[in-house]
Amino acid sequence: MTPEVPYAELHCLTNFTFLRGASHPHELVGQAVELGYEALAITDECSVAGVVRAHVAAKGQQLKLIIGSELRLACGLKLVALAADRRGYGRLCRLITRGRRAAEKGEYALTRADLEENGLEHCLILWLPPGSSSEEAHLLEEARWLEERFPERLWVAVELLREGMDRQRLETLQRVGRELALPLVAGGDVHMHVRGRRRLQDAVTAIRHNVPIREAGRKLHPNGERYLRERARLAKLYPRELLEETVAIARRCIFSLEELRYEYPHELVPPGETPASHLRKLTEAGARWRWPQGVPEGERKAIEHELTLIEDLRYEPYFLTVHDIVAFARSKGILCQGRGSAANSRVCFCLGVTSVDPLRGASLLFERFISRERNEPPDIDIDFEHERREEVIQYVYDKYGRHRAAIAATVIMYRPRSALRDLGRIFGLDPDECGRLTKVMQWWDGGEVMRERLREAGFEPDGSLLARLLPLAQELVAFPGFPRHLSQHVGGFVISEGALEELVPIENAAMEGRTVVQWDKDDLNDLGLLKVDLLALGMLTALRKSFDLVNGFRGTRHALGGLPAEAAEVYEMISRADTIGVFQIESRAQMAMLPRLQPRCYYDLVIEIAIVRPGPIQGDMVHPYLKRRKSGEPISYPSEGVEAVLKRTLGVPIFQEQVMQLAITAAGFTPGEADALRRAMGAWKRSGGIEHFREKLIGGMKSRGYADEFAERLYQQMLGFGEFGFPESHSASFALLAYDSAWLKYHEQAAFTAALLNSQPMGFYAPAQLVRDARTHGVEVRPIDVCVSVWDCTLERQEDGEPALRLGLRLVKSLSRSGADRLVEARLQQQFASVKDLAARAALDRGDLEALAAAGAFTSLSGNRHLAFWEVAGTERPLPLETALADAGTNALHEAAHEPAPLLRTPTEGERIVADYASVGLTLGRHPLALLRESLQSKRLLSSRELERLPHGRAVRTAGIVLMRQRPGSASGVTFLTLEDETGQVNIIVWERIGEEYRLPLVESRLLEVHGELQRQDGVMHVVARRLIDRSPLLGQLITRSRDFH
Amino acid sequence: MRHRRALELPLREDAAPAPRQAPGPRPGDVLHPIVGRGAATAPAELWLAAHLSPEARRAQGDLAAPSPSSQQDLERLGARAQRLTPRVSLDLPDSLLLEVKGSLHLFGGVEGLSREMARECSRLRLSCTLAVAPTPLAALALARAGLKLGIAHPPGAASGSLVVTDPAQLVGRLSPLPLAMLRWPQDTLGRLARIGVRTIGEALRLPRAGFARRFGTAQLQTLDRLVGRASDLRDRFEACARFHRRRELLYELESHAALQAVLAPLLEELGEFLRARQCGVLTLECRLRHRAVPPSRCVLRLAAPLADPAQIAALLAERLSALILPEPVRACELRSGPLVPRVPGSGGLWQPGEQGGGAAAQAPELIERLRARLGAEAVHGLAVVEDHRPEAAWSVREPVITTANVQNDLQSDPKNPPSRDRRPLWLLSQPRQLNERDGLPRRRGALRLLGEAERVETGWWDGGEIARDYYIAVDARGARLWVFRERGPPHRWFLQGVFG
Repeated sequence: MTPEVPYAELHCLTNFTFLRGASHPHELVGQAVELGYEALAITDECSVAGVVRAHVAAKGQQLKLIIGSELRLACGLKLVALAADRRGYGRLCRLITRGRRAAEKGEYALTRADLEENGLEHCLILWLPPGSSSEEAHLLEEARWLEERFPERLWVAVELLREGMDRQRLETLQRVGRELALPLVAGGDVHMHVRGRRRLQDAVTAIRHNVPIREAGRKLHPNGERYLRERARLAKLYPRELLEETVAIARRCIFSLEELRYEYPHELVPPGETPASHLRKLTEAGARWRWPQGVPEGERKAIEHELTLIEDLRYEPYFLTVHDIVAFARSKGILCQGRGSAANSRVCFCLGVTSVDPLRGASLLFERFISRERNEPPDIDIDFEHERREEVIQYVYDKYGRHRAAIAATVIMYRPRSALRDLGRIFGLDPDECGRLTKVMQWWDGGEVMRERLREAGFEPDGSLLARLLPLAQELVAFPGFPRHLSQHVGGFVISEGALEELVPIENAAMEGRTVVQWDKDDLNDLGLLKVDLLALGMLTALRKSFDLVNGFRGTRHALGGLPAEAAEVYEMISRADTIGVFQIESRAQMAMLPRLQPRCYYDLVIEIAIVRPGPIQGDMVHPYLKRRKSGEPISYPSEGVEAVLKRTLGVPIFQEQVMQLAITAAGFTPGEADALRRAMGAWKRSGGIEHFREKLIGGMKSRGYADEFAERLYQQMLGFGEFGFPESHSASFALLAYDSAWLKYHEQAAFTAALLNSQPMGFYAPAQLVRDARTHGVEVRPIDVCVSVWDCTLERQEDGEPALRLGLRLVKSLSRSGADRLVEARLQQQFASVKDLAARAALDRGDLEALAAAGAFTSLSGNRHLAFWEVAGTERPLPLETALADAGTNALHEAAHEPAPLLRTPTEGERIVADYASVGLTLGRHPLALLRESLQSKRLLSSRELERLPHGRAVRTAGIVLMRQRPGSASGVTFLTLEDETGQVNIIVWERIGEEYRLPLVESRLLEVHGELQRQDGVMHVVARRLIDRSPLLGQLITRSRDFH
Repeated sequence: MRHRRALELPLREDAAPAPRQAPGPRPGDVLHPIVGRGAATAPAELWLAAHLSPEARRAQGDLAAPSPSSQQDLERLGARAQRLTPRVSLDLPDSLLLEVKGSLHLFGGVEGLSREMARECSRLRLSCTLAVAPTPLAALALARAGLKLGIAHPPGAASGSLVVTDPAQLVGRLSPLPLAMLRWPQDTLGRLARIGVRTIGEALRLPRAGFARRFGTAQLQTLDRLVGRASDLRDRFEACARFHRRRELLYELESHAALQAVLAPLLEELGEFLRARQCGVLTLECRLRHRAVPPSRCVLRLAAPLADPAQIAALLAERLSALILPEPVRACELRSGPLVPRVPGSGGLWQPGEQGGGAAAQAPELIERLRARLGAEAVHGLAVVEDHRPEAAWSVREPVITTANVQNDLQSDPKNPPSRDRRPLWLLSQPRQLNERDGLPRRRGALRLLGEAERVETGWWDGGEIARDYYIAVDARGARLWVFRERGPPHRWFLQGVFG
């Protein structure tokens, strides 16, 4: 028996060396602990993306974690750099940043020059000598070069992997070492935590090289030795001193991620102030602005309380950062609003981050969101107008510089679809076959039905292909999922005091001019580094444009959060589900809920927004809540603690926070455990892993005297809740925007509709539905006209002084912005006399002219579309010189002017409607179905208005244009459709079985005929489909675009 | 470019459908339509169009797209149609045009001639729509429209509605047809649709100059050709066959030498045939017909296209000499496979054997000769395969010689040199199990293992998974063997190869 020697693995890749490493960081850490390694270095290739996960896994274990990176220079030289201390770590991050920034996304490029410049001070270097076939001279050259740069901290890594030449290799390297007086050290070139990952490692290698696995050949490793090997095994392979050297090196590395401290940018605090005093000043100034009559006593106390809490937790710089960004946006007139745990505080209210008036509707306790005990960083997301967020992002870059500000990464994980696609490809399936396989496997449960489906798709369920492919797919997607690449987080910014690249490497994102750090949101959270989320929200754009239009038209001074609060008529409208265009509550699911929930105040909206989510629906919380709300019967709570948590939602948990708090209050979880529970709930559907919480939850509740039945029900509710619970802190902010948009819709629909049209693409509805809705509410909508319209939709004064909505040129498909601008400018000088006059003076090219003609925008100049097209088609694009001459009435236009107009047919109504849809996406003429009504009637199909008059349970047939298809992940295969005809809309429910039977009509129809049963509940009407028929041919060329949501 | 036509007809008021427009024609305007009603030219020609229906092609496993197979169909049909008129043209991808004015009297007028044509179609099992008109384009347009409207069913017959013989009626008959029948670019059709012009008639009523400026002179010319205002020249179709010659013998032959003498002129003919077409053949079949038994067949398959009759004759002679004739030969026949374009090689500077006179160019010949003598299956090429598994590291393949292949094989990846130094040159195609004693392998006595193990674990993806430790072993006689031990139970020993 060989006595066990101590060992530290110093060269180990995780799966964050994408498609090379075949084990998760936590698996490697776990295995290293198991094998009794003294230390483990995570050395992903030019990356530290996986180290936080390893760090978290190694916490409290008998294993030292070392941070390093494997680097390959352009000349082929390979080495591993290990951070000895904080400075070394900073140098390493800087070098990685350099390599990553110098190359395309996902790649890196480093040269010897980079290494000379950076020097990697305070790093220990392991040289990875090139393969066995290299000549000794070459080896010596590399070793000498390194030795000169890294004296006293350079080792020769000897990696014996049983490829047949180990002995020879060891001898060669020993000679080189002797020659240059370099120490040798053992290494494992670890790619996986156990041997069993060999197949997966082969598979990801083939994926990386994009070759079928059978052709991967020597790109694969010859054997599976690159795993964390038992120490006894190592002792047989390596001379003892090489193994002992690993431990000696490990002991010299004293850096831990714990040392990383986040320092906030100093410029936020003016000289002579501390962060605390400055925040206090800003808050007090804000309080005077919010309460000009004087701050109410209760509020003053609350503010004081919050400030103390913030000071204790040292969160001031965070609030100051947020305030600074919000102040910038406000100075530029960019609407913004914060949301999230810390956003609903008085302090944020005073700083102008939110408008959640603490006195409005519900009293939102600050400590409900942030507390001393729960050591989680405050979370504020700030939404900006979607068209102007980039300005804010550029401000942040400008203010702090790119070396101090960057966006957090999002780790893109393998999902069943991507795993099957990639694996399918390397197993030689063509894209078509991959598609079929993915489709079937999406619902794979191993059952007999699925086996049948596989056979239908052309796969043998027990065949060797699937036997090899499926286990690999399972490994790839098993929680937490194999990472594939880093992407850009939607808006999470990290800003630091010092150079950010010494904190974490920065790399290029796919988007031009964007850079991301190598850690994602959770990584930053785990290290206690704070980030600010700068997000884009279309509704804010629409609201700002609404305010501008209304204020311009009426001379009012409406502003975000400044509209008359709690207007009964607005809630009246909301309760009727008359909410097309209203933020958050316009979806058909929301619309179905509104008449049942009947929101009458702000907090009702907060609940409404959170309750129509997969979580509450699957947790079966909706019906109990509605029932209690309707009956008004008193609710008994099992304890005061539970009452405090659930009272505001009538004893039914609806918000994500409530579930967390129940775990704490009723089951005795610590805040940290509750947070772990939240994360686990996010994942349990995919991987399980929530079971061990079950015992703790139910046990905890029982021991606190709760009935079994209550405990079990709560647990089941939590399971259903899954990851889909919506936080109250976000809902509270969204509800404000929902109210403001609803107020505008009720009181200023013309302006509101114009603003929505001017903010497209956004929201749930296409321009056609928005305009139709406005017209049903009595808004006059005027067509696009080259003699009147500008780019945006505008308001025109009618005779009675009320606004009419003039459609803007932006709705014209494929009209260029610059062309439209020239048109408007030329018109300002002089009204157009003819199409030719317009073409010449606005210097429009053929494409723009045709776009305008297609939109019918020339009608006032040329008559009908056919004539407009004839004229436009005959217009030559003037050369710049000719443009100048055209005013003098010369040249080519002259000739055309004498051309007689041909006799052309006037477009039929059907042609006009088709053309309207094709170019503008909407028509001000009749609904297309009005033209088809006769033939629909002959098929005994009812209009939506006729359906309205029929009772529950009646068998009906109807048809309409498919506006929307929704297949929410929560609704187990149910598809929701919205059909539209000339009299209104009908909601269709298609159960999974029917959906499968009529898959083609369901997926492909533009005009759909539905046979089914009419259902009514609380004033909401659906048709439950039994049969679907594609009637699209009836539409002829009518172009309708359905918006599909998934 | 402005076109003025000689005969300018003002548009008649009763043109249907009655056109309306917002600003009516100003007085004094003269509109010059592309063609007015009744525009006529002398009926110099009469064209019959045969339009292959897409179903016919789909039946052959070929979806609507033009493809060689539909072209082949057309060529076969064209060859047969030459019986009806010398003026046959292909209109790819799916139509055949026959100028039939001169042959009408031979086949009983339009009706009789289209019946003949329909018969040819059905002989080839092709489904066609036939139409007759004074211009090729008009005939095509009518045939396409006929197919689309389903007029010509049962397929093959030219329905009366698809026959226009009087040029005076041409415009009137074409007018209701959709413009799409002209197969103009979708973009042009779209732009015409946007001014409300969807039929041929509507287009013909547009002013010439305005039309040309907006939609191009090419389109205007098409319209002119359509109605016979401009001539429409068509390339004449020439049947391009494979080589097929048969020679009846005056007396029965039994000797191979005599056979070769008889075949020689046929081969000469083949050589000329190929030279004229700059082509070679990859397959050639020689059939020898006997009195009672089925013909003897001898098929040559070549590695590279050949055109030289002498070479072909030599190869054929090799094969024939191996052929046993069951009966005397009464007729012989040569049939070539499809022709392959051939780039004539330039002669080498050096003769083979001389300095630099490489054997590479001779290799095909050598291979042909070996194959002809030993049979195609006995001669194969070898390729190196990048695979860690020794038994999968090479493969058998067709011995096709091209310069590219030679280079590929010679150049291996310099960055990734295969570790062939540990591989013996002689590998067993299947590893042979070895006896063992005390866990050590034996072959004619105990084997001595040299050095360390080389571990190979791979190949799981195709059912050929291996997990082995390889060793170099020396047997009692001092021969060096390459052996391995299975990693998994029962840990057997195998011999994989022998070092030279």
